[in-house]
Amino acid sequence: MMTTASRGGVAAQGRDRAVNGPLNGPLLDVRGVTLQYKTRDHLVTATYRVDFEVFRGDRFVLLGPSGCGKSTLLKAIGGYLTPVEGEIRLKGETVTKPGPDRMMVFQEFDQLLPWKTVAENVMFPLVASGRLAGAAARDKARDAIAMVNLASFADSLPHTLSGGMKQRVAIARAMAMEPDILLMDEPFAALDALTRRKMQDELLQLWDATGFTVVFVTHSIPEAIKVGSRVLLLSPHPGQVKAELNSLPRDAAAADAPGLLKLEQKIHALLFSDAVEAEEVAHVV
Amino acid sequence: MSSEMASAARPERYLQAVDSTAFGVVEKPLSTWERVANNAFARKAALLVLLALAWEGYARWLNNPLLFPTFSATIEAFLEAVESGVLPGRALTSLRVLLMGYGLGILCAAVLTTLAISTRIGTDLLELLTSMFNPLPAIALLPLALIWFGLGYGSIVFVIVHSVLWAVALNTHSGFLSVSNTLRMVGRNYGLSGLRYVGGILIPAAFPSILTGLKIGWAFAWRTLIAAELVFGVSSGQGGLGWFIYENKNQLEIPAVFAGLFTVILIGLVVENVIFRTVEHRTVRRWGMQS
Repeated sequence: MMTTASRGGVAAQGRDRAVNGPLNGPLLDVRGVTLQYKTRDHLVTATYRVDFEVFRGDRFVLLGPSGCGKSTLLKAIGGYLTPVEGEIRLKGETVTKPGPDRMMVFQEFDQLLPWKTVAENVMFPLVASGRLAGAAARDKARDAIAMVNLASFADSLPHTLSGGMKQRVAIARAMAMEPDILLMDEPFAALDALTRRKMQDELLQLWDATGFTVVFVTHSIPEAIKVGSRVLLLSPHPGQVKAELNSLPRDAAAADAPGLLKLEQKIHALLFSDAVEAEEVAHVV
Repeated sequence: MSSEMASAARPERYLQAVDSTAFGVVEKPLSTWERVANNAFARKAALLVLLALAWEGYARWLNNPLLFPTFSATIEAFLEAVESGVLPGRALTSLRVLLMGYGLGILCAAVLTTLAISTRIGTDLLELLTSMFNPLPAIALLPLALIWFGLGYGSIVFVIVHSVLWAVALNTHSGFLSVSNTLRMVGRNYGLSGLRYVGGILIPAAFPSILTGLKIGWAFAWRTLIAAELVFGVSSGQGGLGWFIYENKNQLEIPAVFAGLFTVILIGLVVENVIFRTVEHRTVRRWGMQS
């Protein structure tokens, strides 16, 4: 609840961090993380010794081509996967299992519980985690739904909503929990281009309003620049950190078209410097 | 070059959308007949009437009430048996035993499947037991059940549990396995585990399969019950529907035999088309998990 009170201040701090520096160290500290998972007949190394730090109010983007382990990395932060090497610390505590302090928003539209209405879907984690109960949970859920402009659909069932609306509910559900950190796994990848753009704008508006901390996975360079305040570039097979860049300031991104293009080209060059290999990867996947 | 010029020459078009009052129908209710024809219940009722007419016609043509009584004679015998209170009593006895066995079977299935999803050895156990016992006809266990539980409700309940358990467990387990990975991760993200995870995520998400299992289990239980009653019928003074059929066959009251069968069918129809259908409409259909 303390987080609610200090939200505005925290957001400002996040924005000015480059000038002031962090007050209490990183919120999320990923240190030397190597991730492996087993398929039927292979042991696959998804990421190799990845380091990065996420601070309060960051919009931290993990960017890379398919197969760079960015989703696997996000799942590890979510607690679904244990690193074979290195550690992931959230507020100084090692992440060991999934929990409501790291709410996930998935790419898939089926992430809403189909047997619950929009309002019930948003309420469920609040009640299940014991954070709020009864009327308090209902009010909180209503506010979160209003924030994503779905107030008139609060009593609809998920299967009656469009893909974009479902993703908005998923975002509302995560925001209502006021998690320490929001984890978004290509949440707009399955949407059409127009809806996707609108959702990116809405996400930024939500951030302006509440200043949450988010780790956002994408494979789209323009999306990374638009949504992110800081971008981590990963190389494929296995994922290793290539670079960590500051994105353009938001007002500049709209006005400064040449700057935008330059950054896009720079990221593209960094990601695909070993273009042949990356191309192959794209074909395999 | 020429194609470029051609495309440059084509004029651009700007149109105004016509107001909907300018043309005919945007949305219009269907006619009564169309709506009746769209109602599955009405279509099935029509089929039932046709079947009854065919029965009546064939039986009249055969003209042998000992072999095949007419529909009207069956209904007459049915009404008579209902009025005398014999048939409702028998049906009630049957239903009571049935629900006992059905409930117990579902309970056992719940325990087995919960075990199966929480441990690997539980999965192996469930798979092994189902492949061993599912093909075993429940009625084949009846002689054994009679030795263990004696001539009474106990042995019938035992064979019903056997017939329900494997169908429900198998379907529930395969339903659990097919729950999408995203929903599982969502559940764990909420910090749910153990029974709260099973009850809050797995059971509703697997409900289409579970419902199928319950339906199959119900049909198996019903069959097993009637068969078991036919074999040794009377239990603690009052028999069920199977006994009613057997008794009337011995007295050559063939219309009453048909009336007994008719009751079995009627209860089956009501359970399937009213109870299960309502559950289906309120759950999996409403949730858009089944069209």
